[in-house]
Amino acid sequence: MPSITRRILLGSALALGLAGTAAAEFPERQITLVIPFAAGGSTDVVGRIVAERMSQELGQQVVVQNVGGAGGSLGAQQVAQAEPDGYTILMGTVATHALNPLILKQKPYDPQADFAPVSLLVLVPNVLAVHPDVPAQTVQELIDLAKAEPLAYASSGNGTPLHLSGELFKAMAGVEIDHIPYKGSGPALTDVLGNQVPIIFDNLPSASGHISSGKLRALGVTTAERAPSFPDVPAIAETLPGYETYSWNALFAPAGTPPEAIEALAAAAKTTMADPAVADRMAEFSATIVASTPDELAEHVKAEMAKWEPVVRDANVSMD
Amino acid sequence: MDLLSNLALGFGVASSLANLAFCLIGVLLGTLIGVLPGIGATATIAMLLPITFQLEPVSSLIMLAGIYYGAQYGGSTTAILINMPGESSSAVTAIDGYQMARNGRAGTALATAALGSFFAGSVATFLVAIFAPPLTTIALKFGAAEYFSLMVMGLMMSVALAHGSVLKALAMVVLGLLLGMVGTDVYTGAPRFTMGMNQFADGLNFVAVAVGVFGIAEILRNLEDEHDRQVMTKNITRLFPNRDEFRQMIGPVLRGTGVGSVLGILPGGGAILAAFASYTVEKKLSKNPEEFGKGALAGVAGPESANNAGAQTSFIPLLTLGIPANPVMALMIGAMIIQGIVPGPNVVTEQPALFWGIIASMWIGNLMLVVLNLPLIGLWVKLLTVPYYVLFPIIMAMCSIGVYSVNSNPYDLFAVAFFGLLGYVLSKLRCEPAPLLLGFVLGPLLEENLRRAMILSRGDPTTFVTRPISATLLLLSLAILVLVFLPQIRKRRDEVFTESDA
Repeated sequence: MPSITRRILLGSALALGLAGTAAAEFPERQITLVIPFAAGGSTDVVGRIVAERMSQELGQQVVVQNVGGAGGSLGAQQVAQAEPDGYTILMGTVATHALNPLILKQKPYDPQADFAPVSLLVLVPNVLAVHPDVPAQTVQELIDLAKAEPLAYASSGNGTPLHLSGELFKAMAGVEIDHIPYKGSGPALTDVLGNQVPIIFDNLPSASGHISSGKLRALGVTTAERAPSFPDVPAIAETLPGYETYSWNALFAPAGTPPEAIEALAAAAKTTMADPAVADRMAEFSATIVASTPDELAEHVKAEMAKWEPVVRDANVSMD
Repeated sequence: MDLLSNLALGFGVASSLANLAFCLIGVLLGTLIGVLPGIGATATIAMLLPITFQLEPVSSLIMLAGIYYGAQYGGSTTAILINMPGESSSAVTAIDGYQMARNGRAGTALATAALGSFFAGSVATFLVAIFAPPLTTIALKFGAAEYFSLMVMGLMMSVALAHGSVLKALAMVVLGLLLGMVGTDVYTGAPRFTMGMNQFADGLNFVAVAVGVFGIAEILRNLEDEHDRQVMTKNITRLFPNRDEFRQMIGPVLRGTGVGSVLGILPGGGAILAAFASYTVEKKLSKNPEEFGKGALAGVAGPESANNAGAQTSFIPLLTLGIPANPVMALMIGAMIIQGIVPGPNVVTEQPALFWGIIASMWIGNLMLVVLNLPLIGLWVKLLTVPYYVLFPIIMAMCSIGVYSVNSNPYDLFAVAFFGLLGYVLSKLRCEPAPLLLGFVLGPLLEENLRRAMILSRGDPTTFVTRPISATLLLLSLAILVLVFLPQIRKRRDEVFTESDA
């Protein structure tokens, strides 16, 4: 008899416990934010700032894990295959969710089917800049110069958003400029600052110091509108109407993540990006805050895939 | 004078109680991770980045810088005591430092390393203060053609300084070059030798290869003969070098400082290259080159000074141009951006307190290191007197954690295991791992710059000889090659190595 009582007690306790779990609010434990690039890059910086603030918002630590390699594909693949419980999320970029899937012949993941979008956080402009000794003062003059003599441009690597910004520029301007890929933005900048290569397509945040100091001359930003941090630098679109590229950072969870978790994460992301301290950091970074809803991010990924598909095809960039 | 008032400002910032404390934490932590093989400054700084978000910008950068140069000090301790370089740049120190320890001169070797490093660190810091802005223009004069020629020279040097037969050294360099080919071709995006595994798309991890061929291979070798217990601890009779040894140190330390200061500015493993270069120079200049490889004091003093000077001057491109010379510097840029500072030429003018504060802290940090480290050597040694059956599993675990923490890529651990075995086999065949590693590091740069130079010159190979800096470097490489093969020198070299192999 006592044993039965105990069993009942135990059973009800268990039931209570289970009910408690089901009703508990996400998140109950720490969340891993996978950054698919090495520490120190711009995605890493955005990720760490966001993780810091989101930890306060969610009441659980958001731990950053850098899983670099294969242009972001390794980290993205890891999250695509992770347990879809909302405790492993990805800091996705234009590379992981538009370019790599278009470029890679063997797709390690599907950017739409394998992920549940959370929030598009920021848009980051790219910039077309030249060494000050290059005679061209405007985008139009650079196009004319490229038609007259052979030129070369540096980028942070084959198949990166900056390479494809350059390819889109060449296609729209109808010019031929040699592409010189580097391993990352740092070495590419060094060679342009030393006038080993005359032209560079770079992220605006990484080039901004050199532009302000006059060591590089910015001819145009790649966004449709001018960047608020450099109001004097025209948009390339002012010369080549319709030209628009930018890098972006967005949070993704694995497909199948419960909607409550997605909502909680998206809400935390929204509050985070609304924080003036975070906004200040992003402004120094020339990044435009979006803080979208999950649906808007899904639309965005679709639009980006559609925009880059012809560019990737025409530029004939592909990797096995 | 501007320099003095700037330095005064810097010392004012760096000697505040909080900044002194962060400097101390940095150098202590740096020494510790330097002593523990496999846990590098890169991994540690990356792990600490989120914490620095809460600190003042100056304090956080002072601490991170302290970790970096503290690790250079600590790395040489393990190199000398157990022939296992804690940092890749102290790999050269292991050659003669470990032999000194076997001869019962471990204390002298450790003190030489510490004093040489301190001297080089102080001088190089001073150089950073004076020459930072003008020196960056030299780095900018280096285009693809110059880098290619520099790499050629580096490879020639690695052959010249290798033990044993020239043929084996060349074979190791070539094997290193081939291993360096693994990964995605920068120009076409084609994967090479990746065996279809995405995880090798960025090539083999340098840390994994280095830990494998140096660390794991050494452990395997040691396990073979437990009697030949190599933690050189009981032999530490005295720390301070005597007068004669001081005299022997001066030349190598001065030359090492010079070589290291120049090479540190160049992007890509400046400190490692500097240590190798200094060792070659010392061996060539020495009156008793046969001592090298058997415990030559100059073989410790020169490279140790060079790697520390290189570590210090690699801050020059970072602080003045915002361009990282190595992965640690890339992390420092990340740390600056987190603090809302845009790295670049503006830092010196817009943030003078930050710029000069960091420079002054390097001086203070170097002093702390020498004061702390001489007495602490005893502690580090105790750490290493732990029995093999405890020590080796710990070291292997630490190595694995360190390697894994770089990219969180389990395939890097497979690489450690594979290269550990390879390193063991190579040591049985009397092939040196150092040229292999240098070929592995320089190979990709060599290829990348060769092809870049050819694109830029539109297919004209004369670009390498018509550009003056490139031509000079190529002539120097030729001179090194001739020296190695000159019958007279070759004979002497062979003698040296026959003896040292025994």
